[in-house]
Amino acid sequence: MLKRMFKILMVLPLLFLLVLDTGMALQNDNQEKVVLELKLPKPMFVGTPRNIRSANLERITGKKRGPFYVPPGTELLSLNKPVTGSDTAPVIGELEFVTDGEKSGEEGYFVELGPMVQWVQVDLEDAYSLHAILIWHYHSQARVYRDVIVQVSEDPDFITGVKTIFNNDHDNSAGLGIGKDKEYIEVNEGRLIDPRGVKARYLRLFSRGNTSNEMNHYVEVEVYGKPVNE
Amino acid sequence: MSKKTAFSGLFLLAVCAAFVFRVVRLDIRPMHHDEANQAVKFGGLLERGEYTYDPVEHHGPTLYYSSLPFAWVSTGNSFAALDERTLRFVPALFGVGIILLLLLFKDGFSRSAIVVSGIFVAVSPLMVFYSRFYIQETLLVFFLLGVIAASWRYHVSRSWGWAAATGVFIGLMYATKETCNISFGALFMGLLLARIFTREPINGKPPIGHALVFFGSAFVVAFLLFSSFFQNPRGIVDSILSFQNYLGKAGEAGFHSYPWPYYLKMLTFSRYGTGPIWSEVFIPVLAIVGCVAAFHPRRPKGSSSLFMRFIFFFALLATAVYSLIPYKTPWNMLPFFIGIILLAGNGAAFLLDRSKNLAAWILILLVLCTGIFHLGYQSHSANFKFQADSRNPYVYAHTSSDFLNLVRRVEDVSRFHPDQKDMLIKVITHPDEAWPLPWYLRGFTRVGYWQEAAMAGVVEDVPVVISSIDITEEMQTKLMETHQGEFFGLRPEVLLAVHIRKDLWEIFLENRR
Repeated sequence: MLKRMFKILMVLPLLFLLVLDTGMALQNDNQEKVVLELKLPKPMFVGTPRNIRSANLERITGKKRGPFYVPPGTELLSLNKPVTGSDTAPVIGELEFVTDGEKSGEEGYFVELGPMVQWVQVDLEDAYSLHAILIWHYHSQARVYRDVIVQVSEDPDFITGVKTIFNNDHDNSAGLGIGKDKEYIEVNEGRLIDPRGVKARYLRLFSRGNTSNEMNHYVEVEVYGKPVNE
Repeated sequence: MSKKTAFSGLFLLAVCAAFVFRVVRLDIRPMHHDEANQAVKFGGLLERGEYTYDPVEHHGPTLYYSSLPFAWVSTGNSFAALDERTLRFVPALFGVGIILLLLLFKDGFSRSAIVVSGIFVAVSPLMVFYSRFYIQETLLVFFLLGVIAASWRYHVSRSWGWAAATGVFIGLMYATKETCNISFGALFMGLLLARIFTREPINGKPPIGHALVFFGSAFVVAFLLFSSFFQNPRGIVDSILSFQNYLGKAGEAGFHSYPWPYYLKMLTFSRYGTGPIWSEVFIPVLAIVGCVAAFHPRRPKGSSSLFMRFIFFFALLATAVYSLIPYKTPWNMLPFFIGIILLAGNGAAFLLDRSKNLAAWILILLVLCTGIFHLGYQSHSANFKFQADSRNPYVYAHTSSDFLNLVRRVEDVSRFHPDQKDMLIKVITHPDEAWPLPWYLRGFTRVGYWQEAAMAGVVEDVPVVISSIDITEEMQTKLMETHQGEFFGLRPEVLLAVHIRKDLWEIFLENRR
C-alpha cells in the first residue's frame, strides 16, 4: 500500500510537470506562429473588351430543353386572352403583345413596363386546370430578370385564393415572400413552369428589372391546360 | 454693347456651359473596364509612388501625374478612399481647358470663329462624354490643341517662349498616348500642304536656337515623364519600342475592327434598337462650309488663310487616317473631331460674315442656335440619361448600371462578416470579365483573382465567390449546398454570378428585415 502511494506521489509531480511543459510548449508554439498572410493573385490588366450590341442566343445553354409531359387534351389557353398590368402606359409596345402568339426576340415584339416591381395579368376567361406555363421576358440578349414570381387565382384582384407557383425572389425585395426557385438566364426557348394542374382563371406575373436595365419586359406568356371538368 | 464685349460674354458662357456639362454628377456612370484599369494603375503611383511605363497597356503617364494633385487634395495618399469624381475631374478640367486654348488662335481665326468653335466644344456630345471619362483622350486633345495654338503664336511672334511652349506640348502629347503619332503626321503634312497652297508672307525664318529650344523642351518633358522622373530611365526607350505593339494592334484590330465609315456614320446618324436618334451632323455640315471658307478669297476679318488651310488639311488627314485604321473605338474620334469642330466654327463665322443683310444674319444665327441647342440636348441625354445604356453610340462595352448592385451586395454582406473589409473574396473569371471589380473592391484587403476554378483552391468556405457565367455551372455544383447564388449584369451579354455563403446570407437577410 505504502509502496503504491509512494509511486502515485512520484508520478503526480511528474504528471504536473508534463502538463505544465506541454502547456508552455503550446504557448511557445502559438507565440512562434504568425498570421498566415495569403498572397492572393492580382487582376490581369487587359485591353478594352468587346462591344456587344447584337443578339446572341446560342451562347448561354446550347442545350435544348427535354420533353415535358402533360395530360392528353392539354391545349394553349392564353392566345389573345385579355391582359392587364401594373403599368397601364407601357414605355414600349402594348400589353396585348403578352398573349399575341408572337415570340420573336426582335424589336417590336415586346412590351416594356417601367422600373421597380411590375406585373402583368392574364385572364383565361374561365377556370382551367393548368399544366404548363411558358414565359419569355426578353430573349435577344443574355439577361436575368429579378424577382420572377408567378401567382394564380380565381379572384381577379388576387386577394383570395392566391397560389404562388414560381418565386425566385431570394431576398424578398419584391415583398411577396422569399422564394426558393433559382434565377435563370433568358433564352429563346422561354422558361417553363410546371403548375401541377392547379385550378385558376387568372395569372399574375411579377418581375423587378433585369441585369441589363431597370425595366420589365414581356415578349410572350403561354398558358396550357384543360377545362376543369375534363 | 460692343462686339468685343458680346464675344467675351459668349465665350465665357461657353466655358461655363462646358464646366457644368463636364463636372456635374461625375459618379453617375459606373466605371468602364478601361477607366478602372487606369485608376488601379494610378493607385500604385498614389500609394507607393510607383510608376513604370508599360509599353503594352495603359498608354502614357500624363494622366496619372495629372491626377496626383487632385487625389492628394481629395484623399491624401489613400487609394481606397479615392472616388470616381476625383479621377474624372481631371479629364473634365482638361476638357474645359480645350476651350480656353482657343483664345490663342487670335489672328488665325476670326473672333466669331473662336467663339463658335468654343461653343461646339462645350456642347458636343462626343466631346462632353469623353471629358467625363478617366482615359487619356481628352488630355491628348488638350495637348494637341496646345501644339496648334503655341505653334501659331510662335508663327506670329517668333519668340523663343512660344517655341518652348510648342515643344512642351509636343512632349506632353507624346507622353499621353501612342496614337499621338497619327496627329504628329497630320500636323506636319497639314503645315506642309498649307504652305504649298498659301502665298501668305512668313514673318522671317525661325532661328536655329529656337529649333533647339523646341526639340530640347519636347525631349525633356517626354524624358521626365517616361522615366518616372529619373526612376526608370528605360521608360523613354520603351516608349519608342511600344510603336511596334501599337502598329500591330492597329492592323490586327480583332473585335475592335470596323469598316472605314464607322466614325463618320456614328457622328452623322446612330440609332440602336428602340433608342433615340443621335446625330452631330450639324458640326460636319458646317465643317464643309469651313473648308470652303479656308480657300475663299474673301476670308473673315481677323483670320489667316494659312491657319485656316492648315486646320483644313490637318482635319482632313487625321480623319482619313483614323478612318482607314481598322482598330476603332469611339474615343479615338476626338483627335480628328476637334479639327472638324474648328472647321465648323470657321464655317459658321464665314456664313455670318458673308450674310448680306440683317434678315440673313438673323436667320443664320437662328439656325446656329437651333443646332447648338440640339447638340446640348443630346449631350444631356448622353451623359445624364443614357450614360451607361448601349443605345447611346458613345457607350462602348460599358459596365452595366446593374454591376453597381453587385458591388452594393458585396459591401452589404461584408458588414455582417466578422472580418468586414478583410473578408476573403475569390473572383474566378476571364481577365476581361474581372474589370472593373479591382476598382470597386479596392477597399477590401483580401481579394484574389483567378482565371480557372481549379486554380482558386477551396471555395466552399469562402464568404463571397464571384464567377463568370462559363464557369458558373462548375461553381454551382461545388457551392449548391453552401452558398446562395445571384446573377448581376457586367456588360451587355455578360453576366457575373455572386455566391454568398449561406450563414452570411442568412445574417444579412435577418438584419435587413
